[in-house]
Amino acid sequence: MPRFHPRLHLAALSSLALVVLGASGGFANSAEDELSEPSAAGVPIKSIRKYAAPAVRLVRDDGKSVSLPDEMDDGRPIVLNFIFTTCGSICPLMSSVFAKFERRLGADASKVHLMSISVDPEQDTPARLRQYARKFHAGLGWQHYTGTVAASITAQQAFDVYRGAKMSHSAVTLMRAAPGKPWLRIEGFVTPDDLVREYRELLAAR
Amino acid sequence: MDARLLISASTCLLAGLVRPGQVMPAPAADAGRSIYLRGVLGSGAPLEGNRGAGMVTTGTDAACVNCHQRSGLGWVEGKLSIPPVAGEYLFHSRDARVADEPALPYVESLHGNRDPYTDATLARAIREGLDSEGRPLSYLMPRYLLGDEDMAALIGYLKTLSVHGVPGVTDTVLHFATIVTPDADPLKRRGMLDVLEQFFARKNQAPLKPTPRMQTSGRTQYSKSMYLANRHWQLHVWELKGPAASWRAQLDKHLAAEPVYAVLSGLAGSNWAPVHAFCEQNAIPCLFPNVEVPVVAERDFYPLYFSKGVLLEAELIARTLLGSDNHPTMGVVEQIYRAGDSGEAAAAALAAELKQHGVAVHATVLAAGGQGHGVTAALRKALPHKDARGRALVLWLRPADIAALGGVPAGASTVYLSGLMGGLEKAPLPAGWRAHTLMTCPFDIPAKRGVRLDYPLGWFMSRHIQMVSEQVQTDTFLACSLVADVLNRMADNFARPYLIEQLQDLLEHRIITGYYPRLALASNQRFASKGGYLVRFRAPDGNALVAQGDWIVP
Repeated sequence: MPRFHPRLHLAALSSLALVVLGASGGFANSAEDELSEPSAAGVPIKSIRKYAAPAVRLVRDDGKSVSLPDEMDDGRPIVLNFIFTTCGSICPLMSSVFAKFERRLGADASKVHLMSISVDPEQDTPARLRQYARKFHAGLGWQHYTGTVAASITAQQAFDVYRGAKMSHSAVTLMRAAPGKPWLRIEGFVTPDDLVREYRELLAAR
Repeated sequence: MDARLLISASTCLLAGLVRPGQVMPAPAADAGRSIYLRGVLGSGAPLEGNRGAGMVTTGTDAACVNCHQRSGLGWVEGKLSIPPVAGEYLFHSRDARVADEPALPYVESLHGNRDPYTDATLARAIREGLDSEGRPLSYLMPRYLLGDEDMAALIGYLKTLSVHGVPGVTDTVLHFATIVTPDADPLKRRGMLDVLEQFFARKNQAPLKPTPRMQTSGRTQYSKSMYLANRHWQLHVWELKGPAASWRAQLDKHLAAEPVYAVLSGLAGSNWAPVHAFCEQNAIPCLFPNVEVPVVAERDFYPLYFSKGVLLEAELIARTLLGSDNHPTMGVVEQIYRAGDSGEAAAAALAAELKQHGVAVHATVLAAGGQGHGVTAALRKALPHKDARGRALVLWLRPADIAALGGVPAGASTVYLSGLMGGLEKAPLPAGWRAHTLMTCPFDIPAKRGVRLDYPLGWFMSRHIQMVSEQVQTDTFLACSLVADVLNRMADNFARPYLIEQLQDLLEHRIITGYYPRLALASNQRFASKGGYLVRFRAPDGNALVAQGDWIVP
């Protein structure tokens, strides 16, 4: 069940007017129901949501047990997705978008925290996540996370991406300008250019 | 095929035709297959696809199989529906009333609302991303750079992907084999066969009457496939004999005489490798056998296992001995196993892992076959000193040997015991050992199995099946019910790779999972349950086990 908060949404809209009105092509906005010209990746659906990071512990790809709220609240903007390493179709595409996003940001890449949480945590051990990250040449600001099945499901539920099984997942990218700010949720495929633009606009509106 | 590839590759390397970094070129006949499955062109160069905006994908990542699957029947993933590309589905007429085309079994992801492809429009779809009517395909589908020869090879390969003529499937019968190796435990063999025979009998209970073909009125690709087939399940028990080196020839002979659709369950002693290889090479699904030492080859496709068995237990012990930060907690590890039994492979796997982290590992090997004999002497040999601090003892022993352990050697520190080999909560571990011993349990702990186990146990009781090995019989029942479920879901589409693909998806949704807390698979995953517990006996007597810590996924 998608959770939608109309009051928050309106508040977010006014503070993020630039994002919504200025979104140059390529996005349908779920609130406005406004379809525009699709970008190369089709028509992703954008919305502003309020999510709270649940107090679960995850295992970072370096093997360290970490608290999800702590990982999210270090002050950096966050770009977040959910993947699994044996996924053949959507995940490699989402991960290569993250990789290109990181590269296109150049020096600014060190100011953002990219997070990829596994939806298949028992298979995706820290070692397998490191191997996956290497394949996409993940930079220092991009971490992958695993943990218990329960912790992964709690994280997925908190961001409304849990669909009961890993094979039912869909392409969702989430971003937040700073701790305490609402999240921009993008459903569907985005190109690296889309993502860079969205990111810069989100920061500009902060 | 592999040998041929190797020869042609080495020839080319010698002739200097292959640049470093290039993958070995495939012979022309296999070029289409190699593009589809591995993303390697006829020249040996990697396949390249482009989604625009600099999103280039190459090689294995670009291979068609990632999305369209081994069967070519596509996939439904979340909101995405990846269409079938098996030739029959691409070229099939929109109108099912075209007389000379066979019925097309249902697949969930068919995008039927288009003209049939021709070779030319298919090549355009692959190169330019336009469907048979010129409409753009999904962003997920890359636009591929393929020369005419590679394109012809690929289209040729797609035409070979068929859902018809599957061996072991007739209009009225589905043939299955179950395979028993000669060193399998005779008691477990009887228990497994009881479950299989009862399951098949139950499956065939409904009276088989010929069912009429039903024609739907609509003009859809499926019209001709809308009939009910009521297939009898037939079980062929293939009992192997003699040394392992002769099994392959026996299996080939069985298959020639009784072509089967799939191998269902089965039972091994310490060696299943020849059966695994037979299934993989003959493209026969080999589903969830009772095997303590499975073959770890996650890139193979057709064999699926519930778990890594004793190899998982070795990983659980390694993880505990090495600690979560990979710092050894023990200086020396002594292992005891019986020659030729499953513990041999487990001990080798554990030793290899520990040695990588600088832990000294010694083995004391008991003579093959002698149940209960030589155990105390082996213990004295493994732990000769009174002070065994810093030493761990790992026992890969059967119940008869465990019962013969006798008194605890002076100064023994931590002892690890294989639960799978030792009989889990029924392991006859002498009272004095219980406080020191951690047993591996690559299943859920007994107290938590609950309804997942009650259902199969109730089923056994109502069918008067004698319990001889609860875990083997429950796993056998689970294998049968998974296959029954998946065949229902496949709706008369029997392509063998499709069976594997559908099982991969179905498993995560199962509620009745027997001994396992959770089952899940995906492409390149061959072991459905991935972790286990370390447990202790609660008291000097009785069967109660307590988990030592959480579920561990090594």
